[in-house]
Parts: sequence; C-alpha cells; structure tokens
Amino acid sequence: MNVAVKYGLRFLLFVALQALVLNQLELGFGIQFMVYPLLIVLLPFEMGTIALLVVAFLMGILIDAVSNTYGLHASSAVLIAYLRPLIFKTFAPRDGYDPLKEGNSYDMGFRWFLYTFGLLLFIHHFWFFLLEIFRFDEIPFVLQKTVMSLPFSFLLCLIIQAMIVSKPKER
Amino acid sequence: MRNLFAFFRRFRVFLVFFFMQIFALTTYFSFLQYPRAQYLTTASAVAGKTLTIRNDLTKHFNLGRSNSALQWENKWLREQLPQSFQRLQYGLVKINDTLFKQQYEYFPGTVINSTVTKRNNYFTLNIGKAQGIKRGMGVFSDKGVVGIIHNVSDHFAVVKSVLTEEINIDVMIEPIGLFGLLKWNGENHRKGSISGISNDMHIKKWSKVVTRGGSGIFPRGIMVGKIEKLRPVEGKPLWDVVVRFSENYASLQRVYVIKNLMQEEQTELESNIPPDEEE
Repeated sequence: MNVAVKYGLRFLLFVALQALVLNQLELGFGIQFMVYPLLIVLLPFEMGTIALLVVAFLMGILIDAVSNTYGLHASSAVLIAYLRPLIFKTFAPRDGYDPLKEGNSYDMGFRWFLYTFGLLLFIHHFWFFLLEIFRFDEIPFVLQKTVMSLPFSFLLCLIIQAMIVSKPKER
Repeated sequence: MRNLFAFFRRFRVFLVFFFMQIFALTTYFSFLQYPRAQYLTTASAVAGKTLTIRNDLTKHFNLGRSNSALQWENKWLREQLPQSFQRLQYGLVKINDTLFKQQYEYFPGTVINSTVTKRNNYFTLNIGKAQGIKRGMGVFSDKGVVGIIHNVSDHFAVVKSVLTEEINIDVMIEPIGLFGLLKWNGENHRKGSISGISNDMHIKKWSKVVTRGGSGIFPRGIMVGKIEKLRPVEGKPLWDVVVRFSENYASLQRVYVIKNLMQEEQTELESNIPPDEEE
C-alpha cells in the first residue's frame, strides 16, 4: 500500500475513533481514553519534526472541534510531536533506526515500545489534564486522572496496534 | 540580517512548535472566558452535523426512559389545563388578563453532545439562532437546572453546564430561603456545592435547593437538587454545602431554553444602581 494512503487512513481512523467514540465514553474515576498519540509514534522514523508538528496539530484541532475542548488536544499532541525526536534519540538502538521499520512493538521490541510510547503517553496525559484543570490546589486531581487513565490508554493502544499493524513474518 | 535568518533557520522547529502551542492555548483559554470565534466548537456547522448524525444513531438507547419522563411531565401539564378544573363560579367571562403577564418563554431542544467527566463540561444543543436562542439564556430539563447558553451558531448552541468551574448560578435553600452560589469541584457529576452559606443557620439535610431567579436567567423555583451533607469550612464561619443534583447529566436528553421577556427591563433598572464608592 502506498505510504501516504496508509498514514492518511490511519489519521482518519484515529480522529474518528477519538472524537466520536472514545471522548463519549465516561467511566468515572477520572479515566479517559486517549489513543491518538499512537499515530504520532507510528509515523515514519525519517519524518522531519516540522512535518510531525503539522500532522499532530491538524489531528488535535480536528478532535477539538468535535469535542468542545477548544485546543486542549491540539496543544498536547503538538507537545509530544515536538518531544518525539528527543525521546527517540534517547532510546535509539545501537546502530540507529532502520528506515524500513516503524515504531511499533513488533518491529522495535516491546521493551523499546514500553519506554518510548509509555513516556510520551505520560507526558501527553499529564499535560492534557494539567491544562484542563489548571489550578495549583487541584494538582492531586491532575495526578489521579493521569495515573488512572494511563494504563487504560496504553492497553487500548496495544489492542489497536495489534489490529492496524501487520505482524512481520517469522524467519 | 544574515544572522537573523540564521537564527530562524536554527530554531525553526522550536518556533513552529511555539506558535502552534500559543495558538492552541489562546483558543483554549479564550474560549473558557468568552467565545469569540465560531470555527473550533461543536456549534460550527460541520461538527454540528457530525454530532447530529451520531445522536440520531444513539438517541434511541434512552428512548424508554425519556419517554416516561415526558409522559410524567405531560401528566403534570395536563393537570394545569382549564379542562381539568371544575368550574365553581359561573357568570365570569375572561376578557383580557391584566393580572398576569407572560415573563418566560421556553424553547424545547435536544442535547446532541455532552461530557460529564471533564473539568469543564459543555453540552451541544440542536437549536440555535434560527430558533431564537441567544447567549446568556438559561437551560433546564424536566428534572433540574442544566446551565447557561455559552455560544450560538445558526442551528446549534453550546451550553456551559452546571458541571463547570465558574457557573455561579444563584440558588436558594427551601424553605428557609437562604441563598448562595452553585459551584462544582470537578469530581462527581452527581454532586455540586453551594458557597456563601453562613454556619449560624440551621439547615436540614435533604432540604430542597431551587434557583433563586435573581439574575433573570432562570425563573424562581427551578429544581437544582437536595442537600446531602454539611461540612464546616476550616477557618471561616461558613458551611460547605454538598448538593445532590436532581438531574443525572450523564443521561440528559430533552432540555428547555428559557427566554426572559422582561430581561432588558430588569438589566436597565439594575444598571441605575450607583457603584459602591467605598471600594
């Protein structure tokens, strides 16, 4: 499949899933599913930071427009898109990234995926809830929401990844 | 000049990032204060259409419950009709009612998008300017108060719900008539609180909380909830009053928007009050 078509479809899938389904699920206890950071991690390794920022910004704005959050998702998405190159550099394999692979748990190994994606997801959730609440005396509430949502989002991302990324064949 | 270009080239990634953040955060924080632009909210046409389609798919899930709620309201309204009263005095002819003048009009609407777990929750309604909705009108449902219209487009409206930080609706505790401001702390969508109730008053648990109708947005006596708990505030002579909302906002469907026909008169009169000199 053409690369542009592939990522375009994924983009639409993530926006629709987040805006129309997940933002409507309200489980209480501060749990909120946010899966679109996965798309930013799955974008090709050689993609420039500015292109990343543009994709993240568009996605965030589209999600915001349908869920009355007015720029919260855009801000969080742009933040992790900006931090992605730094975090990828920190956890880079010894001989650099293979441009034929992408940042999923099959190509790069589960440990790499846990560290990079987990860290990005944590930054994303923390920033999101911090801005959403935006009061210093409610910092424990911010942390509660972050800690409660993080494992749920991560697990859901693993499931979605298993559905959209094809497993490499065993050699 | 060359240095300037070199600077831009060097920090271009950061600059792009910076401007995007500034844009996103300005829209976010300006919307919390005052809705200036229309293009990024659910009141905009495209998002509104998407949500209408989604609501068409999901609205039937609550059909049974909302039907029985409507039926109860119909029953109550039917009881107010002239047909359901027995005439006790004959010979009286009603010509023109000079004792009562209509003050409030109601527009029915449907909630097509809502959240309850965010810090500030907004509901989208399927009615807008075309139906006569304006910013600042009150919204309530058959069970209780819902919020205030925050932003309007031609066919949709966004309601700033009771579940937001700075909603501050004037409420009154019945039957003692104490009043305070309704607040929400962001934790539980079934519970709010009232601020400004002094602790020398004896308040009964489970007494009713209704709107006071002071600002002219809501008529007097729209149900808000019941008092569940009274906690002393440390260091202040105040009660922290916990209110259990009578409406479950998570399953809210049918609402009414209130138009106060005498709002201008009240605002004009109140604007004549001279400002406080001492402060």
